[in-house]
Amino acid sequence: MKILKSWLQDYIKLDISNDEIAETLANIGIGVESVESQIPDSVVVAEIREVISHPNADRLHIAKVFDGENELQIVCGAPNIEAGQKVPLAKIGSVLSGNFEIKEAEIRGVKSFGMLCAEDELGLGTDHSGIKILPSDYAVGESLNKYIESDAIFDLEITPNRGDCLSHYGIARELAAALKLELKSPEIFDLPNTNDLTIQINNRELCPRYFGAVINNIRIGESPDWLKKRLESCGLRPINNIVDITNYIMLDTGQPLHAFDTGKLSGDTIIIRLNNPDEVIITLDGQSHKLPDGSLLIADTKKAIAIAGIMGGANSEIDFHSTNIILEAAEFTSQSVRKTAKLLNLKSEASYRFERGVDTDNVRIALQKAAVMIAELSGGNIEGVASVSQERLPIQVEIKYDEIRSLLGIQIDNSEIDRILERLGFKVSGRVAISPSWRHDISVWQDLAEEVGRIYGYNKVDAVPVETTVATKTSPYYFREHLKDLLVGSGFTENLSYAFLSENDIRAAKINANNLLEVANPVQEENKYFRNSLVPNMLKSIAKNPSFDPVLLFEIGHVADKTGESTKLCIGASGKRARESIETAISSISNDLHIDKSLFDLAEMPREELERFKIRKPLTFISEINLDQLSLKSKHVLYPLNIEIKPSHYRPVSKFPSMTRDVAFIVDNNTNADRVLDDIYSVSDAINRVELFDQFSSDKFGINKKNIAYHIYLQKMERTMTDAEADGIIQNVVKNIESKYQAKHRDK
Amino acid sequence: MQIKGNLHPITQFLRSTVKVFEDLGFDVYEGPEVDNAWYNFDSLNVPADHPSRDMQDTFWLTDGRLLRTQTSNCQIRYVETHEPPIKAVFPGQVFRNEATDAKHEVAFYQMEGLYIDKNVKIGQLFWTLETFFKKIYGDDVKVRFKPSYFPFTEPSFEADVRYQGSWYELLGAGMVHPTVITNMNLDPEEYSGFAFGMGIDRLVILKHKIEDIRNFRSGDLRFLKQF
Repeated sequence: MKILKSWLQDYIKLDISNDEIAETLANIGIGVESVESQIPDSVVVAEIREVISHPNADRLHIAKVFDGENELQIVCGAPNIEAGQKVPLAKIGSVLSGNFEIKEAEIRGVKSFGMLCAEDELGLGTDHSGIKILPSDYAVGESLNKYIESDAIFDLEITPNRGDCLSHYGIARELAAALKLELKSPEIFDLPNTNDLTIQINNRELCPRYFGAVINNIRIGESPDWLKKRLESCGLRPINNIVDITNYIMLDTGQPLHAFDTGKLSGDTIIIRLNNPDEVIITLDGQSHKLPDGSLLIADTKKAIAIAGIMGGANSEIDFHSTNIILEAAEFTSQSVRKTAKLLNLKSEASYRFERGVDTDNVRIALQKAAVMIAELSGGNIEGVASVSQERLPIQVEIKYDEIRSLLGIQIDNSEIDRILERLGFKVSGRVAISPSWRHDISVWQDLAEEVGRIYGYNKVDAVPVETTVATKTSPYYFREHLKDLLVGSGFTENLSYAFLSENDIRAAKINANNLLEVANPVQEENKYFRNSLVPNMLKSIAKNPSFDPVLLFEIGHVADKTGESTKLCIGASGKRARESIETAISSISNDLHIDKSLFDLAEMPREELERFKIRKPLTFISEINLDQLSLKSKHVLYPLNIEIKPSHYRPVSKFPSMTRDVAFIVDNNTNADRVLDDIYSVSDAINRVELFDQFSSDKFGINKKNIAYHIYLQKMERTMTDAEADGIIQNVVKNIESKYQAKHRDK
Repeated sequence: MQIKGNLHPITQFLRSTVKVFEDLGFDVYEGPEVDNAWYNFDSLNVPADHPSRDMQDTFWLTDGRLLRTQTSNCQIRYVETHEPPIKAVFPGQVFRNEATDAKHEVAFYQMEGLYIDKNVKIGQLFWTLETFFKKIYGDDVKVRFKPSYFPFTEPSFEADVRYQGSWYELLGAGMVHPTVITNMNLDPEEYSGFAFGMGIDRLVILKHKIEDIRNFRSGDLRFLKQF
């Protein structure tokens, strides 16, 4: 939600920087996604060094300005510039209000590298008669917004429990409580009641209050600039003065409003009722909706005119001919609005706020403020307000002072707890806190503790150690991690695949869908079924690695079908020596666990299946085994967690083919082959991976000498690497390693 | 010589996180990936008609169950078979039904932690998480706690960590909500506790500066063999 600093200042006086405002908000639980200053940082103080006339245009000048680092040439049409002045310079790339981006330009044959700004171009006023001349003590090169108070837009993330923060007044109220500022109360206009309109609520439990203001003889037109600007800054498109005012009051106070064209209604009663069977409404956005049962509607005596709290109907919409209107402000319960909005898959700024709860006591206040604004800006006269409203039952929660102190772990007096709650709008009476009309999220003393904590400041809470005990370490987790170590030791790499199968997958793997768990609402087709086996995705992974021979992979993961969920291990070997590799892996597990090898089903994939999965290698072996039974067999063995911190070596994988080169060196026996590997890696960014594949000592290399050999994978991110480039990098590797380790490169 | 294979980077990182909590005495429990709405939502104080359910996009199954959206589904399950004091971590895969891009995935790993005892304080939660981040990022790491909202904790926090010069929002946490304690068949007047949950994929991305979260499940050995 976008919040304008200048709008907050309608209610509080803010003497702190934008960063301090953002930090205050974050500290009290209001997430700040971004703060955008109206004058971007790239508008800096510049000094004019020289002004000369433009050779091809009488009214233009060429200014040479210094921005703190460089002297830039700027073409400028303003009459008031002269050497020695300090002026605002929008550097290339600056985006000024109205999405106006400053680019390098050529104006009548002279290049210009930025723009000197007038007051209006910075949103600081309306003056466009000349460049804004800055005081001489402003430092050249500094961002202008260090000196000049400019507006700012805070993009806030409001958690779903805090519907009361979805407005400028709501945020001002929070800041006032946190910073101990005076909060200006909203203006209250008392409007008379009217008999011109009757409100009939059929379902009070879904709509506890409804107010309708009758306003006649309005003139539809454009909103004034200041109003349009505020709406636009908050991301809303101005439409006409009536709709704009309803949106404005919503952003201002949090109360959604809606206006109906009285001329399009039948009768003089507004009815709040549930839908009739098969009832259809066309909403303002032109969509036709068949209303699900239980939809709360606003209706006249003949037809539905709005879906309560979600969107108005096209049949009663304000248009350029509207003269008389009924302005609605109501409270619809969050459950009702949420249910209908979800079933219709229809959301709006209004439904978003109703789902999170509106301020019960503000409904009428907001309506009256909007009505008065409409009368002022559209010339209408307010006939009065018709209403049906239930009394609000305030929420009362016992303040458990000792428990609050203990939970927070802070020394705080009862009276200070009371004061914090009162600053947040609670009424404290004895040991009871009465929740304000805008808070619907308070029900237990822990909620009060949170209020006290966030205003008191969690940074003042001391850390308290938790008693260290001895862990049991009997979870099957440890067993499975142990299996992973055995497989890695046998040359297999751990894969992680998606837990889903698509229609294509089950066709290729000839899996019968009958017993599979099916996703009812997949956003992506691939996620249609939950996997009942790790094999299909193992085969897909093998197919994805044509440049590796052999491909040795394993995966441990959950599978499920209609009979239940289990954990499985799948091992896959494809290509050179595939059978030996997978047999070695299975032996290493069965020897370690003292189990029979025959527990593992080892299958060679038939040619047709390999083709369906587009695997080009001739030999592929797969073994899948249920680990839940195996882990039961080993449940009395403790497997310690093997933690190996390797240096981080990640480089992105190129979309283009990589090159492989092998290099071997003769080095001293005590040379650490892993350190050599790290050094090879750091020779060039184009080295994606280095693999030690051979290491042995022999007298033929000399006394205390050994041979170490590496595969080096080379790639370029933007294209295929050439042989010459690869050779050049390898030469550097050889030079580097030879000199650093007194190594001798073994040339083939 | 036998060229060793490679452990998945998520496995490697998860082991080091489990180890930190193991040293403090935390048990490990994993729980099912296919679960029902009671364990994943309702028992955790996330009712069907509350907007907090929209905080996560859920894979619903045609039989009415779901793929867990959070490892918090283990909270009630674990306490059903264990007596307080409760100290456990729940690592595992969770699912979000959304379109994928470099930053969003349909599946990722989480690790949840749960601590329940008598008189548990917020300061103990802070201590536990500070201890964890120091073990992972070094003693001079800076951690800050900001109030936040999760339906299953009250008060709730987000923990930000300063890593290589920037603040990162890495973890959600809070004091277990009394409704959740009640759903564990414990008396909230007697027992309290804290819970925290972190996205492991994101932490691994940060550690290795991985440009695209989809690499983890790409099956591409050019990626997997780098770790």
